Parts: sequence; structure tokens; C-alpha cells
Amino acid sequence: MTCGLSNFVNHGRAVGLGLLTAAAIAVSPAAAEYPDKDIKMIIPFGAGGGSDTLARTIAGVIEEMKLIPVKILPENRTGGSGAVGYSAVAKEKGDPYHLATVSVSFFTTPLLGGSPVSYKDFTPLAAIAQSPYIMVVPTSSEYQKLDDLKKTPRFTTGTTGVVSDAALLAKMTSNALGIQIDSVPFDGEGEVMGALLGGHVNVGFLNPSEAMAQMKAGKLRPLAITSAERSPAFPDIPTFKELGYGEILHTQLRGLVMPADVPPEVVTYWEGILQKVATSEQWKKQYIDRFHDIPDYVDAKGFKQVLERTNGRYETMMKELGIIK
Amino acid sequence: METLALLWDGILAATDPAIFACTILGAVVGLLIGALPGLGPTAGVAIMLPVAAGFGGVAAIACLGGVYYGSMFGGAITSILLGIPGDAPSVMTVIDGYPMAQKGEAGRALGTSVFASFVGGLLGIAGLVALSVPVSRYALAFGPTEMTAMMFFALSLLSVLGGRNAFKGFVALALGLWLGMVGLDPISALPRYTGGSMNLFDGLDFSIVAVGLFGLTAIFTSLEVNVDKPVAKYTFASLLPRMSDAVQTRWQLLQGSVLGFFVGVLPGVGASAATMLSYALAKRLSPTPEKYGTGIVEGVAAPEAANNSASYGAMIPLFTLGIPGSATTAVMMGGLIMIGLQPGPLLFTENPQFVWSVFGSFAIGNLALVFLTLLLTPLLAAALFVPTAYLYPIVIAIVVYGVFAIDNSTFNVMLTILAGGAGIILARLDYPAVPLILGLVLGPLLERNIRRTLIQSQGDLLVFVERPIALGLFIATVLVLSIPLFLKLTGRKKIAADEAEV
Repeated sequence: MTCGLSNFVNHGRAVGLGLLTAAAIAVSPAAAEYPDKDIKMIIPFGAGGGSDTLARTIAGVIEEMKLIPVKILPENRTGGSGAVGYSAVAKEKGDPYHLATVSVSFFTTPLLGGSPVSYKDFTPLAAIAQSPYIMVVPTSSEYQKLDDLKKTPRFTTGTTGVVSDAALLAKMTSNALGIQIDSVPFDGEGEVMGALLGGHVNVGFLNPSEAMAQMKAGKLRPLAITSAERSPAFPDIPTFKELGYGEILHTQLRGLVMPADVPPEVVTYWEGILQKVATSEQWKKQYIDRFHDIPDYVDAKGFKQVLERTNGRYETMMKELGIIK
Repeated sequence: METLALLWDGILAATDPAIFACTILGAVVGLLIGALPGLGPTAGVAIMLPVAAGFGGVAAIACLGGVYYGSMFGGAITSILLGIPGDAPSVMTVIDGYPMAQKGEAGRALGTSVFASFVGGLLGIAGLVALSVPVSRYALAFGPTEMTAMMFFALSLLSVLGGRNAFKGFVALALGLWLGMVGLDPISALPRYTGGSMNLFDGLDFSIVAVGLFGLTAIFTSLEVNVDKPVAKYTFASLLPRMSDAVQTRWQLLQGSVLGFFVGVLPGVGASAATMLSYALAKRLSPTPEKYGTGIVEGVAAPEAANNSASYGAMIPLFTLGIPGSATTAVMMGGLIMIGLQPGPLLFTENPQFVWSVFGSFAIGNLALVFLTLLLTPLLAAALFVPTAYLYPIVIAIVVYGVFAIDNSTFNVMLTILAGGAGIILARLDYPAVPLILGLVLGPLLERNIRRTLIQSQGDLLVFVERPIALGLFIATVLVLSIPLFLKLTGRKKIAADEAEV
């Protein structure tokens, strides 16, 4: 009920803002003055991690391409599973000089009650890539293709946390194939890979960059990919959809958000910038080719829908697990 | 032989001035960050990552590696001189290192730690280049079931560290195990003992608690004793390292290095646990276990050799399998990706020149650190001539800065101070601090792995004895616990823990 209500409110606001934008573009050239000071890019996680690399690469590409007249200053604000950094951005309500990237903790920490702010306290700008997950088994395993899994009633998979994309996908796959995949939470992706290669768990849902090296070396065999279409980096891996499991569709969007209530012309401004980034050679070379993500530009509206859907999925999962009420 | 030739080529490649400069830069930064209480190798490598990535290629990873093993050298400095662990893997060095410094043998202790670090590093590098492929297979054989057995074995060895009163030792251990549960439940994600505080969701950082419990407690306690103690009661000569100590500690060095290497390889265990096991093993095997903790060189050599060789062991899964087994190697893996390499099983075959040059830089860095640290030793040891009235305020400032810098969190600073206060109460009541720290480090590992195993086996406890490695470790555990008891009953030997003072 609350969800529906807030959707309605958001929707109403979006229409109102849309009208404002039109008005602003029509009458006020002053809007073109944004941005007139340096922009802070808050990274809620430590240096060297996935979020850090993503944020710094985006900032680097924007600077290299000279897309904006000011600087982007990346700053790591760690702690509380992302809560500290994300709160720091959200509290700058309406200030278009604070940026952040989304991550799994962007949704999960607030849902667990670990953060005073949630995805609703942010304005989605746009997404510039999506990172699918690849379902793999060790090469030594007897399973050659996805449907072979149906021969065995139960599997285990390694995840990086109780509430994580891998755990979510294990659940979705279990339901779709009529099998049971139990998630074993480990501390970090390295341990998950070790458990998988050591035969301590049977299947894995891995990031493209993790899976790539092991597949090339012939250690892991891919079964399916979770994106809507095949990934350019893995043209030979079928999607779940192709194999008849259209409901298994889940990717991580690499996108940027600002605090809630930033002016709509700012959103339009950033949509333009990020579209240029998404289609640039620099972005392809420095991020897509390195992490084997799928290049994809999603505008603010589409990005917002994905954020809502992702949040809904985590919320449902946590309720099913009895973690939240 | 071929391996040696490849390593030699790697060493030659690493003498390239640019690579050499980056190696030394990394080593010096690591030395300093290691010495700074609170900040350890993970933070150090992360801080240097953006800088190092700019060097590109071999130089970048040589620099990051330098930070990693450099911090293993550096951590001992603060542990010995001030009794404050410079980083998590040097906590055990405090136990004998600090009493040595108080006896006026700071230089001896530092010299021993440098030599132990060097030997540990050398054997670690040897293991890294010669055994990496078979050893990486051994690491993969350790799943949750084997890790559970390993933790039981570790705890059985460590029971020797309980102090004079075994009961109080176990109480402290239980307290540590309980503190290890604070935070989000690793398996079900429900918050435990957080009191609703967001700051506690990630659990208690072991190095933050250790800095308070060892370091601040020592400083707080000094408030009530005579601050103007006669500081310069030792001569400068006693600050110099002694070569004879190296010979005297040869067995501890060897045990520590080998043990550290194999424990370091295991995913998720790390150098801190390696130092604890190494210290406990040295004490177990010693004919005079009661001397451990009173300030003897063996007690410094064992953990310091272990943490250096563990740091190289931890790099094996990274370089051979593309699996980061520890937080520090995970950041290093980020470095590999940033310079455009794909960490994974093919790294060795596709970029042999790169890998061997990096290994070569490790050999050079390890040797260079001996000279760097030895040059600094008399200078650092001179800090002991500074009256505590001046020294301690400076040290407290450094501690607060170091702890704050881990996560930019004032909460962590409060936590350290609280741990320092708790340490005083523990000391007053004669509860040993070491078992508490052991519980805090090993408890989460034990709990997670038991629960992972039980998810896998769907609650069947028999898996623990069905798997050969696990069974072997459980048998070893029973032996470690029962042999001293047997010897005592037959009147042949005293149980180490009964007499020991930690």
C-alpha cells in the first residue's frame, strides 16, 4: 500500500517537474550555468574495490573527454556497509553537486534497517553499463548444459552474503528449474571462487570479469547468462531467456545518482553527459573491456524503474528469508 | 633449476631503476604504515593503489607488494618499542617484544624481528616460486569442513596461551568469542549485539580492539605508576641487534616460516592467525615454555617469521588461481586489473615475464628492508630515552590518528579507548588479554565455517569425520590436547599452560 502511494506521489512529482523542465528550457538560459563548481563523487566503499574503480573510471572518462567545465572529486567515505557514504550524499537534498554510484548495499543496507536513507532519497540520473551474472559449474562436473541440472535435486552455491545477487539468482533458478540450490555465504568473491574450484560448492553465479579468466583457463563451464540478450563479451553463452527461463533476468546497472529533489534540468544535463560516456571509446577501453560488462545506456526514467524493481526483489527475498518483516 | 633461472632473470629485470625505485617506495611506505598503530597492510595497499597504478606494469605490482611485506617489517617496531601492535599481524610480537624493550633490550628485539622477517620472507619467496602450483591445489582442498577442523586444531594449540590460571584464560577466550559475534550474523544477516548501532554492523575490527587492549591499556596503567621512571637506565650498546640471537632462534624461525607460509595460503585465514599459531607452536615445543612472555628472542622470532612468510603464501592463490585469499590480496588484485592484466589461472602462462619480474622485486625488496629497518633501528629505539611524560601524549595522538584513518570513523577511536579501559579492568582482575584477542580473530572463522559446513551437509554432523583432511586435523587436535595430560598423569612433564605467564 505504501509502495503504491509513494509511486503515485513520485509519479505526480515527475509530471510536475517535467512541466517545469519544459518551462526552464523555454524561458531561462540561466539553467545553462550549471555546473559552476566542482562536483563531489562520494564512494561509500574503500579504495581498490569494485565501487571505487567504477566511480573513479567514470570520473576519469568525463575529465578526459572534457564533458563538463568543472572537476569531479572522488572521495571515499566508508563505513556501515555503505550507509555512511550514501547518507552523506542523501542529506545534501536538492544539491546537484553530489554524485554516487549504486551498488548492492545501496539497497540491502537500508532494507536491513542499517541506514537512515534508502533508494527513495536519491535522484537517479542514468546508467551506462550493465553487469550480468554468469551461471557456471566446474569443468570437471557432469553438467554440460543448464537443463542437465534437473537430473540432480540439490546443489549448493557460494555467495558473498545472505542477501546478495548470487543468493537471489540461486533462488530464482531453483524456482524456475524445480531444483534446490542452497546458498552458502562466504566472505568475499575470492573465497567463493576457491570453494567453487575446490569442489566445495557445485554451481556459481559470477561477475563477468571473475568468470572470464577461469573459463579461458578451462576451469569453469558457463551454463547461462542473466542478461536479456547475449553479452558481446560472451557471444557463446546463451541467456536464461533463450533456454526458456525468461523469468531469470537480473543484472547490476552501473549508474549514477544524486540527492533527492535536484532540479530536472540537472537530470537532463547528466543524461546527456552520461550518454556520451556510455558510447565513448574511453569508457569501452577503460571499463567495458576490462570488466566485460555489457555497454548499455539507460535514461533516468528507465534507471529509476530498475532501481525500484531491484529494491523490490531484495525486499521480497529478505521477507522470504525472515530477515525483515 | 629452471625455476631458479627464471627467478634470477626476474631479479635482474627487477633491478631496472624504475622498478627498483617503485619497490623501495612501496617498502618504505609499508614500513611506515605498518609501524603506525591501527593501519595495516590492507589499508596501506589500498592507499597506494591509485599511485601505484600510475606506474603501470611490473613497477605497480612491485610497489604494492612492497607495501604488503614492508608493513610486516614495520608492524613489529611499534609492538616492541611501545607495546602497541602496529598492525594485526604483529599483535603476538607484543607479548615478548615489549617486555624485552622494558628490560632495555629493544635493539635486540628489533634486530631479531628484522632477521626473522627476512628469513620468513626468504623462505616465503622460495615457497612462492618453487611450490606455488602444488600449494594452490592444497589451498583449494580446504573447504568449510576442513577449515572448521583447522580452527579446532588451532584452538587446541593455542590453549597453551591461556596464562597462569586456565579458568581465567578460558573466560577471556569466551569473551573474545562473544565479541567476535557482534555485528551482522554472517549467515543469516540479522544484527547481533549491536544495540541498534549502525557502527557495529560490520563487527568489531580486531586491530582496533588490539590497539586499545594492548597499547592504550599499557599507557593508562602507567598513569598510576611513577611516570618519571629512570628512562636511560640502559646503554646505547644494548640497543644494537645481536647476531648470536639469529642462531639461537633458528628453529623458531624455521617453524614460523613454514607454518606461516602454509597458513597464509589458506583463503580467509591470513597472517594474524599464522602468527598466533607460530607463537603457540614455539611455546609448545619449547623445553622452557614458562619463559615465553617474559621477553625472550624466541617469542619475537616465531611470529615475525610467520607473518612475513604468510604474506607471500597469501599471494599464491592470487598469482596462480586469480583468487584473492585475503583482504590485502583482494586490493592487489584490483591493482592487477587496473594495469590491464586479467588475474586468473592463465596469468603465469600468458605473462611469465611479468610474474617473474614481480617475484624478483619481492626478493630485492625483502633484502632492502633489512638494511632500511636496521638503519632505522637505533634511531627508533632511542624513542625509549624520551621520558614517558613526553612520549605518551605523542603516542596517543598517533594511535588516535592511525585508528581514525582506518575508516575515517570517530566511533572506532571511541572503541579503541573503550578497549583500553576494558584492558585495565582485565589486567586488574588478572584475566589475560591474549586469549580474548584469539577468540576475536578465530571465533568468527570457526563459527562461519561450522555453519557453512552444516548448510552444505543439511545439518549432518558426520561430514566432519568423512573428509580425510578434516578427520586428520581432528585426530591431531585430540592428540595435542591429550598428550600433555597423559604426560602429566604419568608424571613426566608439567603442562605448559599451568605454569606459563602470558
